[in-house]
Amino acid sequence: MRRAPSLLAVLITIAAATLLFWIFLHEVSSMWLDVALRPEVRQSLERSMEDQRTLRRLDPQRRAGYRQRFDENQKLLNRIEVIRMSREAMLRRFELSLLALFVVAATSASVMLWFRYRRAQERERREYLERMGSLQETARRHAHEIKGPLTAARLELERYADLVRGNASESELAHAAESVSEELERLARYTREFSSFAGVGKPALRRESLGEIVEQFCVTFTNAWPGVELRDGGLDAIVCVDRDMLRQVLVNLCSNAAGAGAKTVALTIVKNSGRVTLDVRDNGTGVPEHLRPRIFDPYVTTRKIGEGMGLGLSIARKVMLDHGGDLQLAESSSAGTTFQVTFGGEAC
Amino acid sequence: MGDVPPRRGVRVVRPALAVVLFLLPLLASAQPQRLTFQVQPGGVVAAVLPASILSDTDVRKQLSSGLTATFVVAARNRVTQDLSGARIEIRYDLWDEVWLVRKIEFDRKQEQQRIASFEALEKWWKTPLRLLATGAPRAPLQIDLTVLPFSAAEREDARQWISKSGGVGTAGGGTGLVDALIGTTIAAKPIMSYRWSVELSLK
Repeated sequence: MRRAPSLLAVLITIAAATLLFWIFLHEVSSMWLDVALRPEVRQSLERSMEDQRTLRRLDPQRRAGYRQRFDENQKLLNRIEVIRMSREAMLRRFELSLLALFVVAATSASVMLWFRYRRAQERERREYLERMGSLQETARRHAHEIKGPLTAARLELERYADLVRGNASESELAHAAESVSEELERLARYTREFSSFAGVGKPALRRESLGEIVEQFCVTFTNAWPGVELRDGGLDAIVCVDRDMLRQVLVNLCSNAAGAGAKTVALTIVKNSGRVTLDVRDNGTGVPEHLRPRIFDPYVTTRKIGEGMGLGLSIARKVMLDHGGDLQLAESSSAGTTFQVTFGGEAC
Repeated sequence: MGDVPPRRGVRVVRPALAVVLFLLPLLASAQPQRLTFQVQPGGVVAAVLPASILSDTDVRKQLSSGLTATFVVAARNRVTQDLSGARIEIRYDLWDEVWLVRKIEFDRKQEQQRIASFEALEKWWKTPLRLLATGAPRAPLQIDLTVLPFSAAEREDARQWISKSGGVGTAGGGTGLVDALIGTTIAAKPIMSYRWSVELSLK
């Protein structure tokens, strides 16, 4: 975890930076003034004035012109002389002003950085606690999913033993053994779910008609979720996709929509500047706001313990990322949710 | 009234204070600046400034620069704290090679002259400068003489010039950043100053 710098460290940094800046400023600030105040400039002006005076004697008819030039030079000379006599005060003010500006800027920057450190520290702490909370929730779900079948299997085995001791009929023994087998199958299904998460394979991309895939999906799964109507947007586009994997993604999205109480799920193909997306919009209750930033993280779910492990969306997103596309939560409110499926392109 | 020697004369000279302190007794003995006073009709007190001031090396150098050297004389009554004074402005016109002088006395009476040579300037310098008018029989005065290297008009001209040079000042050299940072620091720092404390009897 990053640590916010102490106040002393900030002050020392500012002081050191100010000192360096002042040394630099002190070294260079007098340059611009000294250019104007170089003795050669003064000597040149004085020589020019002397020349004008000489010329007035040699060429009295143009005296007025020489006088004008003389006055211009003298004015310039006077200005330079006035500045030369004020040089130290001018430089002192210049340096102090810039130094003050630097200190203000450095202090402001340090305060901003310090607040950023504090905010980052706070965010890191909050995220850590959230991760721990999530892990605790996951552990609870795992325990529940394993404990249920195990308890049931143990009880069935005890009943099986009682039946053996009581010389029960073969059919009763077979029934008890089948019950044990069913519970063990539940455990096997549970582990398969993880296997599918861990073993999401690479997609076999082919140029396919997205419109056809969507149409077929709507027909095939029309009765998959009772009370949910699937609507095909009707457009078409060619995309590189693994048909089976995309179908699994759509199953996950529709399953979630059904779980959120949706009555319709509209699947709409959108083409925008050569980019193809498939918008999956439902009219369910929406994703709770606090879950939206983590909706694609594993084990994040709104379902009760025992009703799912929250792996569907993370698997779906992994699949689409492997396609060179993505799966994003486009919007969600109490009126429904839209997921946006994007594809990698037409070239496979 | 005769010459009144300065009771306390301080001459501010740079660069090093230690050197000045060391040399001060020598300087004081070498250059006794004496003020001479006159009482004119109407209780007007006039002073003749020491000629040594005009011939001082730093002052001579400044006088010949083409800038307007200004001699500000402030007379303060040490008891009543009444302040009065006069001013002399001297500029050497480098074109005509004449000294342009202007004297402004305590009653705002002005006198302007063109003086052809430094010798004539020294002679003019000896004319009394009217400092104040008083009806009191005695006048405990503190006289301060400050020599400024340039005039307010010349300072303003340089300020406007540098403001315009900065590129961020207004056309009139008014309120730009350079003017705020730099222009306002242009000030006529005295090249030297003198102080006398005197007790005048006007009877």
